[in-house]
Formats: sequence, structure tokens, C-alpha cells
Amino acid sequence: MRFFRQLLFTSNSGWQSFWRNGGVTVAAVLSIMLILLLGGTSLLLGHALSQVLEGYKQRVSVISVSVADGTPLASVSDFMADLRERPEVTNVRFVSKEEELRRFASDPRNQQLLQQLDSNPVPAKIEVSVRHLSDVSTIDGLARGWRGADRTNPTDYQGDFIANMVRLSNYLTIAGLGLFAVLLLISVVIVMNTIRTAVYHRRREIEVMKLVGATEWFVRRPFLIEGWLTGMIAAALAVAVLLAIYRPFVARFQQDLFFLPLAYDPSFVVPLGLEMLALGSGLGLVGSFISVRRFVRL
Amino acid sequence: MILAPRFNSRPVISLQHVWKRYPNGTLALRDISLEVPAGEFLFLVGPSGAGKSTLVRLLIREEKPSKGKIFINGLELGRMKRWRLPHFRRQVGLVFQDYKLLPRLTVYENVAFALRVLGESSRVVSARVSDALATVGLEDKRRKYPSELSGGEQQRVAIARALVHAPRLILADEPTGNLDPATAWEIMQLFLRINAGGATVVMATHNREIVDMLRRRVIAIDGGQVVRDDRSGRYHEVLPAAAVHL
Repeated sequence: MRFFRQLLFTSNSGWQSFWRNGGVTVAAVLSIMLILLLGGTSLLLGHALSQVLEGYKQRVSVISVSVADGTPLASVSDFMADLRERPEVTNVRFVSKEEELRRFASDPRNQQLLQQLDSNPVPAKIEVSVRHLSDVSTIDGLARGWRGADRTNPTDYQGDFIANMVRLSNYLTIAGLGLFAVLLLISVVIVMNTIRTAVYHRRREIEVMKLVGATEWFVRRPFLIEGWLTGMIAAALAVAVLLAIYRPFVARFQQDLFFLPLAYDPSFVVPLGLEMLALGSGLGLVGSFISVRRFVRL
Repeated sequence: MILAPRFNSRPVISLQHVWKRYPNGTLALRDISLEVPAGEFLFLVGPSGAGKSTLVRLLIREEKPSKGKIFINGLELGRMKRWRLPHFRRQVGLVFQDYKLLPRLTVYENVAFALRVLGESSRVVSARVSDALATVGLEDKRRKYPSELSGGEQQRVAIARALVHAPRLILADEPTGNLDPATAWEIMQLFLRINAGGATVVMATHNREIVDMLRRRVIAIDGGQVVRDDRSGRYHEVLPAAAVHL
């Protein structure tokens, strides 16, 4: 009971201090909110980028081998059978010239070109799905060595583009993590200074507490609660803003950059919100912990 | 009277060759040795800067001695772990010149504060605060705020707060320093009653009239040293009149 009475006393004290320290608290909440918003936005953008990359990876993990006109069907069958036996290949499908033409015709941008054609210029294709993106280059090498492949454009392999995209994604991840670490450090320093100010405002109360025999952690606890509240309220505000802007942002993105496969992903938003709340609370606690260890001593 | 002191043969306070030098090099106390038996009323006198307040700070372990040993109720303060300090301070009642009351709390809440930080139940708090306020004669002012009280009444609240833990030792640093002579005398009567109840009282003061009138043990400090220790002393015997402040 005694412990709960003390906890109640400190909770009330922390809550009062949070509001009494008004100006500084609001400034700290807004600063941390902006930092978390920046962090959250970068995480959302990172997620969007990985969505886009994933879409590309799926698309390019299927390599199309163009079959030269006049290649005997037996040669095509043999090559497809060889491909199916390879461990890295998951699926092999033949696309006839007619089917490929229908695909070509389904794109409205090709209508004008089609009207000028009097024969079928598109080659038949062998579509090969591979397990890993890195396997595409192996299949590309095999296809280029196969005699039935179209000499002018044997495959649709875009090795450099994908490698560059993956490299860019890795760089952005590292830069994002670095930026995030700096932002976290700034947040901790902001909380530390907020709590330092609160300690200064309540120095008389702290002095009396010490004189009447309060323990060191009893004196420190309200400041931990204040720091925790600062971080958590800042995180809650940041999450609210992110939730409000995420969906309209994706809708606008889909409208303007329709060729990029970015979609609204509610399954990512909920854990992100919870993680940001935990992060905000953690930042508040860490900042206030460091501060009270330095400034509140018996 | 809410005090319930326990006496034993050990002195309540014992200082053995205590020195205190601050980090800036100031030597505040030099080789102080003294003993205060249980139930004594002791005045610490001396000019400003003599080392009285430093001695009080050492006695509540706000400072550690640079050299020497300080024992309170048999506990050596210099070797006391930080986590034991709160328990030690609950055994000592502290009264200061500036009262150290919390302006946002009422009289009752100020006194109760000392018990609430320990997590005492409302029933215990109510009983002990009422008892302490009765001792200092402020039961009818329990709902007032410090700003609504006179200096003497504020000091009574501070004394009530010092008494709620039923301490065996009261340390007072210039408790009448901000009060007019009549009010100072009322506060002294209160300390005398507390002392008569069995508590040891150590009071640093500049108040010559009170010291001379009460004729209790007087330890005079000057330049950080004990220059006089009289069983039934006076203030002015060791100090030139120019150094005395009323």
C-alpha cells in the first residue's frame, strides 16, 4: 500500500510538473514531435521505396528470351526442358508470336504503330521465372548462348538498372539510419534540457523533499514521468499527423507517378505508429533519466 | 507533545577532529571536536562566516568533512551510503531561517508533505500533522497558505514539519533570524518545550539576547575553530560588540 501511495504521489507530482513547466514542455513536445514526424516520414518513404523496389524485383525476376523467327519448335522445347531442370528456375512458359502481338496491341500507345504493320514483327518469347534476382543474369547468359535466341535483342535483362536501384536503396537505408540516430540524439538532449528546467523550477520543493527524508528516486520519479509524458505526447501527435497525411499522400503519388507501384499499406502503419509511441516514450525516459542522474542528487 | 525520544549513554552528536575545506580552497572548519549528549540544548554562536552553517550542513550530511569523523546517534556520517541518507534525515528535525515552506501548499499540506513523501496513509498523516500543529499552536491556521501567515507563524509551520517524524535531534540554523524580538522569543519558547520533551536541540544563532537569557551550553566558533565551550554560557563573552547582530 505504501508503495502505491508513493506512486500516486509521484504520478500526481509528475503530471503537475508537466503542466506547470508549460512553455518549455510545449516547446519540447513540438520539437520532438517534428523530429519523430521527420523520422516517421523517412520510415514511410523508405517503406514506399522498398515497395517500389519489390515491385521491380518481382517484375525483373521474370526474364523474357526472344525466339528468333524460324527457330525449330524442337530446339525451343529442348531449351525449355534444359531450363526447367535448373534449380534456380521456378517456371518456364512459352509465349507465341500471336500472344505477344495481342499483348503489344493491348497497350493503347501502340495502336498507331499497329495500323502501319502488315505482318507480325514481334518475336515469340520464353518467359523464365527465377527464385532470386541474382539468378536472372545466369539465365541471360544461357539465353545469349542458345542458338534459337533472337540475335538483335535476345533478352529483356536490365542488369545495371536493377543493381543500381538496389545500391541506391542500400545507400538510402544507411543515410536514413544515420539521420535517425542524429535525430534521436537531438531528442534526448531536448528532453534533458526540459527536465533540467523543471528541476530548476522545482528546486525549492526538491530541497524540502530532501530535508524531510525523501529518497533520491522518490524525488527523481516525477521528472521521469514528466520526461516520459513529453516523449509520448510528442510521439502521439507525430503519429496522428502521419496517419492524417499518409493516405492522401499515397493517393496523390499514385495519381502523379502512376507507373511506380506504390500502394497504401495499412499493415505497415499500425506497427509504425506503435513503434513511434514506444520510441517517443523511450526517448523521454532516457533523456529524463540522464538529466535527473546529473541534476537531482541527495 | 509528539516527541518520543529514546536516550542512551552515547552522545547524540560527536565530532572528532573535523576539518572542512571547500573545493575553492576556503577552509571553513579546522579541527573541531565536540560532543553533545542526549537532551541538551546547545547554541552555536559566532560572527557571519565563522563556520556555523557549514557545521550544520555537515551534521545533516549535505557536506562531507574533508578530515575527521562525525557521528550522529552512533552513525558515522562520512561513511554513510547515499541510499541511507533519507532514513538518517528522518531522524533529524531541521529548521532554517528562511522557513523553506512550499508556497502552493497550505499549512496542513506543508506539514503533511514530510509524511506523504514516505507514503504514509491519510489516517496516519492526519493524526500526526494535527498533533504537530497542536504542538506549535497553529491548528486554526491549517487551511491558510504561507503567504497569509506572519513570519513567526511560518517558522512555527516549519517547526511542526520538523516534528512530524518525532525526531530525537533538532538542528536549527538561525531560526529567529528573520523575526522581531517578541516573535523570536515565542519561537524560542517552542524550542524549549521541544527540548523539555527530551529532544536534543542544536541551534546556530546570532541572537545575543536569547542566548544570554537562556544561559544554556554555548559553543562559540570563530575562523572555523571552537574558541569557547561554556556549560552555561553567554553570547557576548567572546565576541566584540561590533560583530554582534540582533
